[in-house]
Amino acid sequence: MPKKNHDTEKYYRLAIRYSRFYGGKISVVPNVPVRSLKDFSVWYTPGVAAVSKAIERNSDLSFELTSRWNTIAIVTDGTRVLGLGNVGPQAAMPVMEGKALMFKYLGGVNAVPITLGVHDQNKIFDTVKALEPSFGGFNLEDIESPKCFFLLDSLRGKLSVPVWHDDQQGTAGATLAGLFGALKLTGRDVGQTRVVFFGAGASNIATARVLMAAGFKAGNIILVDKKGTLHPEREDLDELELHNPWKYELALKTNADRVEGGLDAALKGADALVAAAGPGPDKFPKGCISAMNSDSIVFTLANPVPEIWPWEAKGAGARIVATGRSDFPNQVNNSLIFPAMFRGALDARASRITDEMIVAASTELARYAAKNGLSEDHILPDMSEWDVYPAVAAVVAARAVEQHVAKRRMSKAWFHRRADFIIKESRSTLATLVKNKLIRMPP
Amino acid sequence: MAKIDAGVKFRDARKGDADAVTDLVVRLKRLNEEFDTMLKVRDDVREQAKAYVTNALKDRDSIIIVAEREGRVMGFVKVEILDRIFNEPGTEGRVQEFYIMPEFRKHEIGTELMRHALGKLKQRGIHLVSAEFPSQNRISVEFYAKQGFRPITNIHAKML
Repeated sequence: MPKKNHDTEKYYRLAIRYSRFYGGKISVVPNVPVRSLKDFSVWYTPGVAAVSKAIERNSDLSFELTSRWNTIAIVTDGTRVLGLGNVGPQAAMPVMEGKALMFKYLGGVNAVPITLGVHDQNKIFDTVKALEPSFGGFNLEDIESPKCFFLLDSLRGKLSVPVWHDDQQGTAGATLAGLFGALKLTGRDVGQTRVVFFGAGASNIATARVLMAAGFKAGNIILVDKKGTLHPEREDLDELELHNPWKYELALKTNADRVEGGLDAALKGADALVAAAGPGPDKFPKGCISAMNSDSIVFTLANPVPEIWPWEAKGAGARIVATGRSDFPNQVNNSLIFPAMFRGALDARASRITDEMIVAASTELARYAAKNGLSEDHILPDMSEWDVYPAVAAVVAARAVEQHVAKRRMSKAWFHRRADFIIKESRSTLATLVKNKLIRMPP
Repeated sequence: MAKIDAGVKFRDARKGDADAVTDLVVRLKRLNEEFDTMLKVRDDVREQAKAYVTNALKDRDSIIIVAEREGRVMGFVKVEILDRIFNEPGTEGRVQEFYIMPEFRKHEIGTELMRHALGKLKQRGIHLVSAEFPSQNRISVEFYAKQGFRPITNIHAKML
């Protein structure tokens, strides 16, 4: 792929040049006018004291009288950044800034990057807990496994605002949405579909869990890692119980037929393959795909190079192929999920993001893709289909209301209008700043 | 806690169980290895386990109870009868090995295995039972505490 490598090199050069030119991608812009310095008597002292006192009496008012209602933190310790690995908290910042940009542009959410200088899971837990009063939610990002499982599970139970780990739940939601589209196109039923996961890291473990919440049968799922298929009698199960209880739970629940062996054994009679096993190509022989059922579905999600090239997978018999890349059809893209997920969760004042809210988001994405015509190259909406974000935010918020985790109990239509307004406002603010040359064009 | 599956049987180990129990001993030793580097298993752990189990099955002072389901051994306990030359009572049963396959845990099978083993000890007039396991194994610590055990002797180690 010389063309692609050439493109990547070009993007690398531009990214360095632009980052230097702009000095980072985000800044704080006031939300209020300053007509004269007298306004500071309202925005600041003495007027602000009344706002403080009101919140002191009822801390819930922090969601109405301050920007907390629309502000989240993006928290990382920099231990698993992109495909780069443990680059540390400073080097994680450009990535987190990019994420904040997408949160604002696609979801109208103010996201503040916080890159931590601590790595111990209990210290990260304590830090996030201590930050809770400042934020309406937390997006955990690029934290290594299995620490990320511990943090998501423990913080979800302890905080009164939503906690999300995008590498787990965002990927899971986008993958589920793609599977819904692919199943519809190939006439399959969730309860009968046999899914093989290649790679048992954070995203595949989370996706397997979300698939079960969506009605896939645990017994029909097989996870395959470097040691082969996961099953209840595998020799390393005790080690997993101690060090990765989430993977351990899946080993006990999945693979009802107790298939032993490698990916080739697992794929015999499988309907779908979800590979997240690290950059390819040629991570596995394409012959494995030939052993799958007809009309097979292959998601090969590693970046920047998928585990197997899409054309190789198709050549081996796959009918539908999805990747993590924007330059191939069917991009399984977290960006379809996380901005709308937080838009909906924040608008509903949700105390948490449930698996059912993720399933609702995935279902809506698939419905949206179907509305514009499902095909082998269009099982998911792409990021340019703007209307999908408020639509997903609305179903997420409505589901939160149904599940009694929402403080603001409004209709789906109300949430849709609100999300639509906020997201459009965010985009038009940026466009106006650019139009008025307050944000300069790059050199 | 889930109730014990009606299909689970508890019985004395037989000669024919040697291979199955050996497998479980190896799993147990590998599990123990997780708790301390000084419990690292030897390369020949399987041969050692096989000999150990074979001898124990012949030894009058070894009690091995297995939990069996659909003809498969999925858990066992091994108790050794030891003399106590300085203390009263003069004999004790020491739980040396205790393992249940992961998927059968949390079903009270461990409690039931222990109950059977203690029954055997009582039949033989033994009134003290002790257990050895890695100090860092908190699941074991909790299990034995729940069964009414308390620590009486510590074994501390260091590499020289």
